[in-house]
Amino acid sequence: MEKTILARTGNEAMAEAMRQINPDVCAAYPITPATEIMQIFSGFVSDGLVKTKLITVESEHSAMSACLGSAAAGARTMTATSSQGLALMHEILFIVSALRLPIVLADVNRALSGPINIHCDHSDTMAERDTGWIQIYAENSQEAYDLLIQAVRIGEHRDVLLPVCVSTDGFIISHGMERLETYPDAEVQKFVGEYKPVYNILDVDNPITVGSLVLTDYYLEHKRAQHEAMKNSLRVMSEVFSEFGKTFGRTYDFCEKYRCDDAEYILVCLSSTAGTAKAAIEELRNQGMKAGLLKIRAFRPFPAEQITNTLKNAKAIAVLDRSESLSTRSGPVATEIKAALYDACVNKPMQTYIYGLGGREIYIEDIKKVFNNLKDAKCGGQVEYLGVKE
Amino acid sequence: MSKKPEIKTWKDINTGGWIESGTSEHFKTGDWRSKVPIWQEKNCIQCMQCFAFCPDDAIKVTAEGKRTGYDYGFCKGCGICAEECPITAKTIKELQKKGPNVKIDAWDGAKNPEYAEKAAILMVSIKEAKEKHNIK
Ligand code: SF4
Ligand code: SF4
Repeated sequence: MEKTILARTGNEAMAEAMRQINPDVCAAYPITPATEIMQIFSGFVSDGLVKTKLITVESEHSAMSACLGSAAAGARTMTATSSQGLALMHEILFIVSALRLPIVLADVNRALSGPINIHCDHSDTMAERDTGWIQIYAENSQEAYDLLIQAVRIGEHRDVLLPVCVSTDGFIISHGMERLETYPDAEVQKFVGEYKPVYNILDVDNPITVGSLVLTDYYLEHKRAQHEAMKNSLRVMSEVFSEFGKTFGRTYDFCEKYRCDDAEYILVCLSSTAGTAKAAIEELRNQGMKAGLLKIRAFRPFPAEQITNTLKNAKAIAVLDRSESLSTRSGPVATEIKAALYDACVNKPMQTYIYGLGGREIYIEDIKKVFNNLKDAKCGGQVEYLGVKE
Repeated sequence: MSKKPEIKTWKDINTGGWIESGTSEHFKTGDWRSKVPIWQEKNCIQCMQCFAFCPDDAIKVTAEGKRTGYDYGFCKGCGICAEECPITAKTIKELQKKGPNVKIDAWDGAKNPEYAEKAAILMVSIKEAKEKHNIK
């Protein structure tokens, strides 16, 4: 297949994927650092390059509400946001997943207020982790482009029918120019295929009720059905990853394992920090340390089995969380990993860190320090702040 | 009338919980009432204001477009029909002409015998509805 090599920022890559997906409806409201995605996309709409109906609204709450309505009417629907914008969508996010509407959202990870900040951390999406959305974290522009295309197929699969959020690190990726390989429009169109909704509230010949009141008698059953859909998404994601690999030559997985096979010390992180970690690991390997990286892409559903299988042979594990849960214990990623290891009866020395909040830089030296500290790691270590001014 | 959805286990729930339309017919909301509207046909001018304003579907209208009684299975007793009925306003105005300080409204007017005689809709207590008008 013919590929085009471009220089693109994360936001440009996501807008390009959206152009090729050519959704029926986009409803969005601008917010730094995600504004550009919809700004570029609205250019595509004005230039007639997509057939998308673009709805400009007065807030993100309205944006997600409009997306909900459009998806319930059977339209393939996308939007983009960040930070406070995602937080303002919060109420509607639950309803979208409960109504099983496969909306695809491009999020640019940015710290939540307060204090007010516009730079990267994962507090925005981590705060939405229990809303029933599939969550995928992209390391770079290429992943953002590829994963956004796959998100459409994953969410719309009959056994899943769940909304999907694909995110990049604010400014680091969203505004950082990188090499991007794109695929021909027709091939992307063929891959995403036609959306066949299971219901349509505008079908006047077959009138239905959507979003009706469900009380003590069936609410539990509704959640159980959603739980099943999320479980199914593990299988469907594997299938989509593999089909994408066969079609476009780039195969994804729930996690990326970097030099993990013989690794004694494994670091776990999400998103762009993985790039820094790979460089640190190369240096450490040259110095004789068997260091490896486990980068988690899918946080919802949580790929517990793959994670525990990778970590169970390590001597010690470090987990980096780019958001605080303020439980006084570890951040959300480490907490989830600990639970997965417990379920697998694996007890390993682990050191967990909170880092990079509000866009604080993380350097190769920081990551090398994390690995070197792992030599003395014990079970039951308390969470530490990395790179904080002490 | 639509069918009542048959849901036994979580597997029987339609994707996203959609159900066929019109199921509110099965959901009787009349037992929320704390007051009951009584329609007095003799004073009604068939203007359909009550029908238009009723937030539920509790005012019965025939195929010929004639307002008849109430469907108490759905009437929540909110009093909006009594408030919006033009005969209410007319009756209050007439009473105020006699005594400018007369305090009367659609919700409590039925206590005033003159209002009760002339209004087209009276809001009465559940006890009175049962004893005087045979409405459960
Ligand atoms: S009291 Fe309220 S619910 Fe009942 S008929 Fe009048 S307007 Fe409708
Ligand atoms: S009861 Fe009042 S509002 Fe209703 S039709 Fe009669 S006059 Fe009009």
